[in-house]
Amino acid sequence: MPDAFDLLILGSGSTAFAAAIGASELGARVAMVERRTLGGTCVNRGCLPSKNLIEAARLVRDAAHPRYDGLVPAQLVVDFPALIGQKDQVVRDYRAKKYNAVADGMSDLQILDGSAAFDSPTSVSLDGRTIAADRFLVATGSRPIVPKIPGLDSVPYLTSDLLDADEAGRLTDLPESLIVLGGGYIAVELAQMFSRLGSRVTIVARSGLLRGYEPELGATLSEVFAAEGIEVLANTRTDGVSGNSQGVAVTVETPTAGRILRAQRLLAATGRRPNTDDLGLDQIGVELDADGYVVVDAELRTKVAHVWAAGDVIGGQHGSQMATPVGARQGRIVAENAFKGARRRVDHEVIPRAIFTDPPIGVVGLTEAEVKAKHFPAVSATTPLKYVPRAGAIHRPEGFVKMIASTIDERILGVHMIGESAAEVIHEAAMAMHFKATIDDFIDLIHVYPTMSEALKIGAQAFRKDVTKLSCCAE
Amino acid sequence: MDQSIVFIDLGVGGMTCDGCVVHVTKALEAVPGVANATVDLASRSAVVTANPGVATEALAAAVHATGQYNAFERRRRPASNA
Repeated sequence: MPDAFDLLILGSGSTAFAAAIGASELGARVAMVERRTLGGTCVNRGCLPSKNLIEAARLVRDAAHPRYDGLVPAQLVVDFPALIGQKDQVVRDYRAKKYNAVADGMSDLQILDGSAAFDSPTSVSLDGRTIAADRFLVATGSRPIVPKIPGLDSVPYLTSDLLDADEAGRLTDLPESLIVLGGGYIAVELAQMFSRLGSRVTIVARSGLLRGYEPELGATLSEVFAAEGIEVLANTRTDGVSGNSQGVAVTVETPTAGRILRAQRLLAATGRRPNTDDLGLDQIGVELDADGYVVVDAELRTKVAHVWAAGDVIGGQHGSQMATPVGARQGRIVAENAFKGARRRVDHEVIPRAIFTDPPIGVVGLTEAEVKAKHFPAVSATTPLKYVPRAGAIHRPEGFVKMIASTIDERILGVHMIGESAAEVIHEAAMAMHFKATIDDFIDLIHVYPTMSEALKIGAQAFRKDVTKLSCCAE
Repeated sequence: MDQSIVFIDLGVGGMTCDGCVVHVTKALEAVPGVANATVDLASRSAVVTANPGVATEALAAAVHATGQYNAFERRRRPASNA
């Protein structure tokens, strides 16, 4: 029998790769098992392909709505299959460079294809073979939830897997019309993308858009969507679906009336769930919570001492978020804890997050509701971006920045922005919060004029004065 | 004389050349209770011959103290099985 691996990783996404690289650097012999496509959700059917297509959709929108007097609107012709083709190429190239090539360059990494499940505390069964290891990392990620809606099991529907380049669930034809179930970040990104590429889109959301985020973000986005012709049915219950490959009908109950919505395609984007169902985790004593997330301590160790878990499979424990870079950081920590005895604990106090709608959203830290729930003495200031010089200069005045500060030491506790470049600007706030910056730190820092990052300086000044009366350069 | 000797298999990270092998070997052999250490660059591993009282943590700490390398224990084998 061959020697046991030092580390066997279930999954091959960003979490798995970070752990594999880290463990390998520390001297470990590593195996990675993947049942779908190498690279996991982000590169294959998540962040990367969606951002590619969202930018294309923005070009279409901006051409038709150039914002500037003197620029004549133009209609870009959307060749959807060709657009999908270039997206697939981007995915394959990126996967080859950032995953396959990296794996090939690591002498002590083996990648094993197939479905693995624990058959003992020190081995997994992989399509009939037994693979032994001294330590394990569960990094199997998450997948779209299938919502419990009468009729859904017999109706064809899309999920975010439509973005995949190589799997059966991929989409190659632009739907003439689309009903999106869900109001979360995936739902809003894809809804706007399809709308801008030419689909007639209706969003059906149980509450409003972006529940759990600062409420004004979803409210602003709802206004933007309405202006772009995306119908948003908020506080709406989905009672049933019917249909076939030609079209679907969705029965909904809005706050005022029952309706039957019809569209060519249906997209279920109601959330994600962990891929922990059939890994044999319960048989070896790894604890799962009621939603299937792997229970871990702050060092990412499960109830079984030689088994760690990280990435989407741990859900929101210890302040974690289901996001690619969060998992990657955790993967590195697992490597150091498993092979260096580092006993590093996760630090999730500052996790910037972006939603790639247009205008984009960037958030970091606590929401006002979270601050209240923790009984922190705090104050907030919301500044419309129309007071940011650059926003006016380039005719992108929509949106706002909301900053939340402690009233004890004036530390910034949260920043929530929707508007031009918010996904980039949020990193200044994140780095500042990492160093425990106060209101005055944002005010005192000289910002480049005119940039959208000035929103943070002006947003901080809003705690002190009337920012409608600032001179040039926000002083 | 204590006849009890174990072989301790280690994984070693961070080595890139023969000089690294020398550094790691010296670090391991300086740990009290270690008789000798055989460090292999290609397989990124070491076999330490030591008395059973030598703790994993002592070996790892000695290698970490070099500032460049990492070591972790794979397993211990009684010398009679060697």
